[in-house]
Amino acid sequence: MTKLLLRRTGLYALWLFAIGAGIVIVLNYENARGSAGSAPSQWISGTSISLDPTRDTLIMFAHPRCPCTRASLGELNRLLAQSDGRIAAHVLFFRPPNYPANWTHTESWQTAAAIPGVSVQEDMNDALARKFGAETSGYVLFYNPQGRLLFRGGITESRGHAGDNAGESAIISLALGKSTAVTQTPVYGCSLLEETNSQATAAQ
Amino acid sequence: MSSTPSIVFKDTVAFSNRTIELFNEQRQSIIRHTSRLFSWLMIFQWFFAVGLAIWLSPRTWAGMDSRIHPHVWFAIVLGGIITSLPVYMARKYPGETLTRHTVAVGQMLMSGLLIHLTGGRIETHFHVFGSLAILAFYRDWKVLLSATVVVCADHLLRGYFWPQSVYGTLEAPIWRSFEHAGWVLFEVVFLIIAIRKSVSEMLLVAERQAKQEEMNEIIERTVAERTVELTRENAERRKSEARLAHSQQIARLGSWEWDIVNNKVTWSDETRRLYGWRPEDVEFSMDTCLERVHPDDVKKVKDGLAEAMRTRQPFRTEHRVVLPDGVQRIMSGRAEIVANESGESVKMVGTVQDVTDLKQTEQALRQSEDRLMQAQKMEAVGRLAGGVAHDFNNILTVIGGYCSMSLQTLDKTSPLQKNIAEIQNASDRAASLTRQLLAFSRKQVLQPQVLQLNDVVHNMEKMLRRLIGEDIELSIAFDSSLGRVKADPGQLEQVIMNLSVNARDAMPRGGKLTIGTSNVVIDQKLKFRNRTLEVGEYVLLSITDNGVGMTDEVKTHLFEPFYTTKGLGKGTGLGLATCYGIISQSGGDIHVYSEANSGTTFKIYLPRTDALAEAAAVADASVMPAGNESILIVEDDPAVRRLAVVILGNSGYKIQESNNAFEALTLIRRNPGFDLVLTDVIMPQMSGKELSDKIKAQCPHTKILLMSGYTDDALAHHGVLDEGLLFLEKPFSPVKLTRKVREVLDAHSSTEMLRKNGGKLQPS
Repeated sequence: MTKLLLRRTGLYALWLFAIGAGIVIVLNYENARGSAGSAPSQWISGTSISLDPTRDTLIMFAHPRCPCTRASLGELNRLLAQSDGRIAAHVLFFRPPNYPANWTHTESWQTAAAIPGVSVQEDMNDALARKFGAETSGYVLFYNPQGRLLFRGGITESRGHAGDNAGESAIISLALGKSTAVTQTPVYGCSLLEETNSQATAAQ
Repeated sequence: MSSTPSIVFKDTVAFSNRTIELFNEQRQSIIRHTSRLFSWLMIFQWFFAVGLAIWLSPRTWAGMDSRIHPHVWFAIVLGGIITSLPVYMARKYPGETLTRHTVAVGQMLMSGLLIHLTGGRIETHFHVFGSLAILAFYRDWKVLLSATVVVCADHLLRGYFWPQSVYGTLEAPIWRSFEHAGWVLFEVVFLIIAIRKSVSEMLLVAERQAKQEEMNEIIERTVAERTVELTRENAERRKSEARLAHSQQIARLGSWEWDIVNNKVTWSDETRRLYGWRPEDVEFSMDTCLERVHPDDVKKVKDGLAEAMRTRQPFRTEHRVVLPDGVQRIMSGRAEIVANESGESVKMVGTVQDVTDLKQTEQALRQSEDRLMQAQKMEAVGRLAGGVAHDFNNILTVIGGYCSMSLQTLDKTSPLQKNIAEIQNASDRAASLTRQLLAFSRKQVLQPQVLQLNDVVHNMEKMLRRLIGEDIELSIAFDSSLGRVKADPGQLEQVIMNLSVNARDAMPRGGKLTIGTSNVVIDQKLKFRNRTLEVGEYVLLSITDNGVGMTDEVKTHLFEPFYTTKGLGKGTGLGLATCYGIISQSGGDIHVYSEANSGTTFKIYLPRTDALAEAAAVADASVMPAGNESILIVEDDPAVRRLAVVILGNSGYKIQESNNAFEALTLIRRNPGFDLVLTDVIMPQMSGKELSDKIKAQCPHTKILLMSGYTDDALAHHGVLDEGLLFLEKPFSPVKLTRKVREVLDAHSSTEMLRKNGGKLQPS
């Protein structure tokens, strides 16, 4: 009996420890922030996207094959729905050089394209991403009509995790003309850059 | 009969215990079942999680570089870890409390994993609620608590340590954790209510099952008791049937049933035996059954059946049955008609009894009654004959005696010779008639002796040939090894002569008379047919003619006295009655076999004896021996006394006479030297037998000769003379008297006389 109890106790301890360890790993992964470059505080003109002078402009950089980005796109959809058309949204999908267009036109592309009021474009070889300091998929920049950067960061609470989050709330508040203390949030997602570049430019 | 079982729970504690036991059994069964369900479900979930991870996030990217997404590894490794212990416990220990709590914890963890794998989709959160519902299958609210604790702990811990992972904010109030857990608790509360209700119902079911078991037990006990009762009743019924069958067998009484509609007759075992059917014969048509009935009785039975069906009155019949071995039995049948609701005769139920023995007994009884009546008639006639014979023989003695003396003294040429001879013949015929009267009424005195029947017949052969005449052939067939009989030879001659005369009269145009002798053994079988004879060895004398024979009517009255078919004046009707009387008195029997125009056979059975035959005394019938001894004659009839005095006086004897016994005794006292006392038997005051006894007492050397025409059992038992007595039958002739007296006197002693005559004196 005692032997059985000991064996069980050991078994359960091992089980709980393993699960605990697993959860810690998962949470660490989920909450591992992506890198972010330095975002221009003023709108950069002369690019393929233009600032909307009548309303706020939102730019999201996305990796077309990043699973985590689906959550960001989902949150973008919710965000735009709550902003009541006060935001002009652009989603720029990374397209590597020498890759066909269908490499970029993934399910995420379709999802983004399906969001009302969203302009979807290819970002050939991360050209715009580099200009706007985006290094992680799901990275969002929010400019007012005057081209001033109001917010930057991710709109998911963790990696690939849908649901209420600080970034999304901040943008909605800004779009609705409310004040918010949050102007920057971590971004969770795949790196837009190569592994080596990503490590080299990892932010925070 | 047992009463209807009622459910009475005598032991409520036992009932409660049984209810709890059943409840626990059911609960354990559910728990085990649910554990096995979760073991599969969790394995499925694990695979699902891996599949989901591969589908949703197969790879993670960095620019154009990609690798397997950590979610896939999380699903495989962490999912496997989460699944492993609950599945192991569910498989190994499905009924243990720890198992279901482990399952609950694992399931909740798996919910968390799935939520993570789907990017926190709100829809995936339903897995938590679904899991709680499935965990409720355990009917154990504590399991739900374990699951709830995991969920709450997850929210509280993560809400505290990583609030953004739960609430999307870097900081969140604690009540938000309770808000999230509240929805889980909301479901759990209702699930607990449902579980409690379900448990309550399970208890109710267990209670019902316990009641059902109790009732089943009562029913089974009742069935067992009833089975025992039925078994006993069946055994008793079988015993009763066996007793009934045995009783039927003893009574030779069987039952039968006729299905009139289908014409099928069924029967009991005894009926089958009575009718000689085989054991494999179970039913016949009525016509087939009637094949066993004697052909002469079939119509009677059929008519009886038809009459019973027509009138619906009870059926009664008595008929003969011919069994396969040819034996005939007499059956008495009774039956009644059974009608259906419409009043139609559909069945006849009846019995049949073998009454052969009864009928034979009745027949024997009737014969006995007939014999009794005949005996009574014979007794009456015998009394009459005896009464007449005593005086009549005295008279005939006197007539015959004086005739005889007259014929001796008269000159042969005297014209009176013829007249006196006629008187003597008439006297002889009268004596013969008297003898026959005594014979058929069995009142005559027989003086039997051991003899060879062949000799008797042989001695009569010449006389018989003269008697039957030349037209009738006499054939005699002797059995050379014939046994001896003890009988009165004179009476036997009388029988043979009577039957021969009857045979002659039955063959007026000639024919053949056959007299034969043989030995016969009457065994039990023959005794059955010849009821008057006892088992033993017999000598048979048969007298057969091929004359006109007899009808049954004649045979019925054949041996009755004064019954004759010969017409008035031609027969006395005493001949066969005399024969019957003589043979019966001799311990034998006489049977007659005859059919009209086919002749007649009389068979006379006489008991065989092993004693040696006695030599017949031969003497000259015409010589009157003389003597000079002193003789006392005692006779109440003066005429007879005077005759005897004259005859014996003429023969030289010294005679004294007396007319009664007392006077005779006085004379003997005065003169005890009498050589012989010749005394009548039947006398007033004192019989000759008493006188004889007194004389023997006083004068043992005095010889005594008794004489009588009818002794009235004074000297004889059943007509046979008592041992040691010397007897002279009346009527006697002078020759007979003198010869008998001389014979007695010449004997040295009575013993010698007895020895000489085998215990009896030869009638003179």
